[in-house]
Order: sequence, then structure tokens, then C-alpha cells
Amino acid sequence: MRFDRRQTLRLMAAGTLAAGLPRGASAQAEEFRVGALCPVTGAGATFGAGMQKTIIATAARINAAGGAAGRTFRVFADDDQTQPQAGVLAAKKLLEVNRVQAILGTWSSGVSLAVIPLTNEAGAILMNTSGAPALSVPPANAKHLSYRFQATNDRFGRAFAQIAAREGFKRPATMAFNNASGIGNTEGFAKAWKAQGGSLTKAVVYEPNQPSYRSELQSVLDTKPDVIVMGSYVADTAIILREWYQTGATTKFILPDWAVNASTIASLGEDVLSNCITVESVANEGSPAFADFDALYRKEMGAPGRGNNYAAMAYDMMVLLALAVEAAGPGADVAAINARIIPLSGPDGEVVSSFAQGRDALKAGRTINYDGASSVLDLDQYGDVTPDFGAYKFNGKSFERKYIVKI
Amino acid sequence: MLSLDLLVAGLISGLVIGLSALAVTLVFGVARFPNAATGDAMSLGAYAALAVAAGTGSLVAGGVAAVLAGILLNVILYLLVFRRLSDRSPIMSLLASIGAGFMIRSSLGLVYGQDPQAFRVPLARPLVLLDVRVQWLDLKLAGLTLATLAVVYLILAKTAAGRRMRAVSADPALARVSGIDPTRVMLTLWALAGGVSAVAGLVLGLKTVVTPDLGWNLLLPAFAAAVLGGIGSPLGAVAAGILLGIVQELATPFVGFTYKIAIAFAVLMLVLLIRPRGLFGRAEGAR
Repeated sequence: MRFDRRQTLRLMAAGTLAAGLPRGASAQAEEFRVGALCPVTGAGATFGAGMQKTIIATAARINAAGGAAGRTFRVFADDDQTQPQAGVLAAKKLLEVNRVQAILGTWSSGVSLAVIPLTNEAGAILMNTSGAPALSVPPANAKHLSYRFQATNDRFGRAFAQIAAREGFKRPATMAFNNASGIGNTEGFAKAWKAQGGSLTKAVVYEPNQPSYRSELQSVLDTKPDVIVMGSYVADTAIILREWYQTGATTKFILPDWAVNASTIASLGEDVLSNCITVESVANEGSPAFADFDALYRKEMGAPGRGNNYAAMAYDMMVLLALAVEAAGPGADVAAINARIIPLSGPDGEVVSSFAQGRDALKAGRTINYDGASSVLDLDQYGDVTPDFGAYKFNGKSFERKYIVKI
Repeated sequence: MLSLDLLVAGLISGLVIGLSALAVTLVFGVARFPNAATGDAMSLGAYAALAVAAGTGSLVAGGVAAVLAGILLNVILYLLVFRRLSDRSPIMSLLASIGAGFMIRSSLGLVYGQDPQAFRVPLARPLVLLDVRVQWLDLKLAGLTLATLAVVYLILAKTAAGRRMRAVSADPALARVSGIDPTRVMLTLWALAGGVSAVAGLVLGLKTVVTPDLGWNLLLPAFAAAVLGGIGSPLGAVAAGILLGIVQELATPFVGFTYKIAIAFAVLMLVLLIRPRGLFGRAEGAR
């Protein structure tokens, strides 16, 4: 999965040209401006390029299908570098220079939390895949303009606690990357675990970009936990797991799926990874929307869509947004479009699984429920989804789903 | 024995910081500006090692490739950029080095992608010495670091090229009238710094994972160690790197893991207040 700037530029150029082409009677048709602000570089880079290309390609498809309520979608792509500062600068540019009406695809909680005051101020919609619980409630989501397509870290933490209990662990400790997502995961776990009557042996928060995490690890191992629950990313996880193995300890690990990638799996090997359980929200596999997303993703990235659940979320963002534009009707403002998003996500109404299908049903005056590629969505009053979670174990080659937990 | 474990952990982190500080201080000692592309030369070295090690299956071949890549990069940078800026203000060179670093980092991102990649090093259980756990890999990397330091020392102290370098460092005008060709000296110097950067990148990459930001993320501690050690002092840079690493780790029982970096910089400020020239620096008047 490599980021090919040329391809993206070409796509963007094509999208821009296509959006600018006159379309007969609707020659002066408005365009709806969308920012695709994704972590193309930094800790989220494993997923960011795929997310961004998915948003661009999905928008191009919707445009090719005639657009929504007479409007076409014009996508402005930018890189948030998985860093709040860079994310804020890019969001400012998207909102003020490109005048986007919605920003899609922020991934890291730190970035989403930093960008949301700007989108709120501009009255723009924010669709993210971040986990920080603070994104659901005021002040962050005071205006109800933000939607998340990933489970909150709190829900991840609950899933971790269920899996830890099911695996029979008694003495968990936690290690968290020092940001809203890492700490959200481990605190969500601690809350759920304590509610089940358990206690933690140790909770450590560590800094990014360190050459070694030996001391952090040692202070956790000294409390003799039987499992370490992680809120971590790829680079730090690889270092911690390697150093853990080298200490000779026999602890197990429960970690989020985004904390490993193909290269770290290959380098860590079975001796290490057979001690790890990864947890990920389960995409809506088997749904028509997922099949469609998968085909699109393979075309754009040359890899199966199952490897990038965030791209499936990005696909759903673009489709749901386009359906909301369609439902709000020609010339609707962002507030009117925003009001349509939650109802369109279900659970009530006729199930649809693509933009074209949904648009036709809306045109026929029916109520629809978009079931997406990443989950059935059914956004709650906070704009959050509640997907199911899979527990994955290492089979010698890759992580394989062993069971599903519902929270 | 937690504190002994912490000491070892700090020593190992410190060696990596020390190596990159060595590359910074070599350039600073002669070319008189902080080279902000040092971190990116490290990243390039790590990627070169990764590519060659994956192709040949030999980590040693990877290491050689890393050093060659680092040398080549720095020689090209000197010939294309820094030689032309040598008679201008050091700020120009600093800014140019930030730009050059940016280009290297972005090129690495374009070619290899941003996804972290890891060396395939066989994992081993640790060696227990006096109740302290020591990793074989760490021992080897420490050996590599010390060997690099020894080579740099020998080149600087015992070879004609090293003498010329020290002469230019001490007084460029006097060196020139003594018949020393500054371009040749600078080429040797940049090549040496490139090789050291690449070794630092290799060591860091082996210990962690390789990303285009690998070296860039270590640049600030490297600068700090170079300043702390006394600008232009190779031994000082390595000693200060190790000191920073150890202080960070030993502080953790008192301040926790999130503030350990701040403690290292507090030590830097304290030392500079008491001894502005750094640990091993020469007192120097304005020229």
C-alpha cells in the first residue's frame, strides 16, 4: 500500500475537471465542496492514503452517477500528518481558501479534537474515525456537526475488557501512547474492567518517538501482570513487543488492530505475536456496500479492502454525505443537510446499500436506512456508531478472527 | 535492581542520541552551522540498509550500503548546496539544510511510503548479568557505536586528512595560507559525517522501526547533546548523548515517563548556565 502522489494528483485533476465540465441544463449547478483530510503521513500513514483515495474515488463515482440534488462533489485533499498542528493548518486552508462545507477522514483523535472547533466555527460538517470519547459531547460536539464512523475508545475499552475476561486474565496492566486515543483506550478498559470487579496492577502512559521503551515496560512487568492492554500505534508497539520478548517475560497482550502492520508482523514473528490478541471493529463484511467498497479499494490501492477498515469508513462518509445532500434537496444549506445525516443512517427505513439505490428511493419519496461498508452505521444521538468487535489471534502468518464480541 | 536496569536502558538510548550528535558536531566543528539534514541522512541510511538487507539477506551488507548511501548523500549535498553557501552567513546554510532535509524526507516517503517498516532481526531472550538483563542486540549495537567512535577518532587524530580538518576547524584562514585545500577537507568531512549519520540511522532503525521521520524525530535530542557536549567536540557529543539518555531514564521513578524528556532538557539548561561552553567544549572568543 503505497502513496502515489502522481496518481492522486491525476485523480484530483480529473475530479476537478469533471466537476467543472458543463452538464447541459444544470450548467450552473452548484458544487458541494468536501475536504479529504487524512493521515497520509505520520502514525496513521498505514491507512491514510487508502482513506483519501477512497473518498476521492467515491466522490468521482457519485458525480458520474449524476451527483446529488443537482450538485456535484469537489474534493480537496490534504494531509494532516497525524499531528494536531498540521491538521489545524490544513483544516484552516480547506475551510478558508477552498471553502469546503464538510471535512471527511480525520483519523487521529488529537487531530479531530483540534479540527472540530474550526469546523464548528465555520458551520461545516466533520466526519472522523477517531476514538476519543470527548468528541461525542459538548464542547467538542456542541453543534452536532461531527460524526464518527469508528467506535469510541471507550467502546474499544469495553470490548478489551470483555475479551480479557473471556480469556481468563486476572491481573491486567495498561500501557498507553500519550494522546487522546491511546489514553482513551486504556481508560475505557480500566473503567469497564473495574465495573466487572477487577483491578489493574499498573497503568503507564508513555511518550512517542522514543528509541526504547525498556523502562516503561520494566515498571509494568515488575507488577507481574498476566496481560498488558495497549493503547498504541505501529512504531511504538513494534519496539515494545520486541523489548518485551527480550526481557524473557511471559505476559500476554491485548492491543488495537491499528497497532500492527504487515512489516512489523513479519519482523516480530510467531514467538512474539502468538502472545498477542488484536481487537478491531468488524466491517460490515458480506454486505453489498462492503463488496462495492472492496472492488473500489482494490482498483485504487491494489489491495483487498479488508486490510483497511478506515477506508471502508471513509467510503461510508462520502456516500452518507451525498445521500444527505440529496435528501435535503436542491440549494439546501449545510445545516439542512446536517439534519438529514442521522436519520439516513438508520435504523428505520428501507435498507439501501449504495448511493444510487438510496437516491432513487429518496426520489420516490421513501424513507431510507443506509447500511454501510464499515458497519450498519445507525448513528446515535451523539453521532457515534456501535459496531461489533472481533478478537484476532496469530495463526503463524497473519491475525485471524477467532470470535466476535458485542458491547 | 530497577535502577541498574534503568541505567542500562538509558545507556542504550544515549548511544543512539550520541551517534547522531556526533554527526551534527562534526559538521558544526568545521562548517560552522547546525546541519538540520543530519536526521534525514540517518533515515536514508536506514532505508538503504533495509533495502539491501532485504535483497541480500545480510545485515552486514545492509550496513555497508547504509554507510555508502550516507556518504554519497552528504557529498552531493556539499557539492550542490553547502559549498556554494560557505562564504555566506551560517543561517543560510542552516535554512538550506532544513530544506534539503525536507526533500530527502519527502522523497523517502514517496519511494518507500509512510508505513513503518522493520528490520528482520532474529529475536533472542536476554543475557542476565548481575541481575541486569542485557540484550545481545544492544550489546552489538553498543559495539558498533564504539567502533564508529574509534574510527572517527582515528581519522581525526591520526590521519593527514584529520589533521587538515582540525586545522580548518581551528582557523580556516591560517589553514588556507598553509596550503590546505578547503574543498578537499570539506568533502572528507561531509563524507565522514554522512557515514556516521548512516550508522546512527542503522542503529536506531534496528532498535525501532524505519519511517521517513526516523532521524528527524531524533534531531532535537541530537542537537541538545551536541550543544551539551561542547560544539565541535566529537567525544563530548557522544558523552553528552549518553548522559542525556541516562538522566532521562533515571528520572522516571520520580517524574514518570511523560516528563522524562523535559528533565533531560532541564539538565541541558543547568549545565549551560554553569558551563556555557558545554562539557568538553573549548572556550572561544569571537573571531
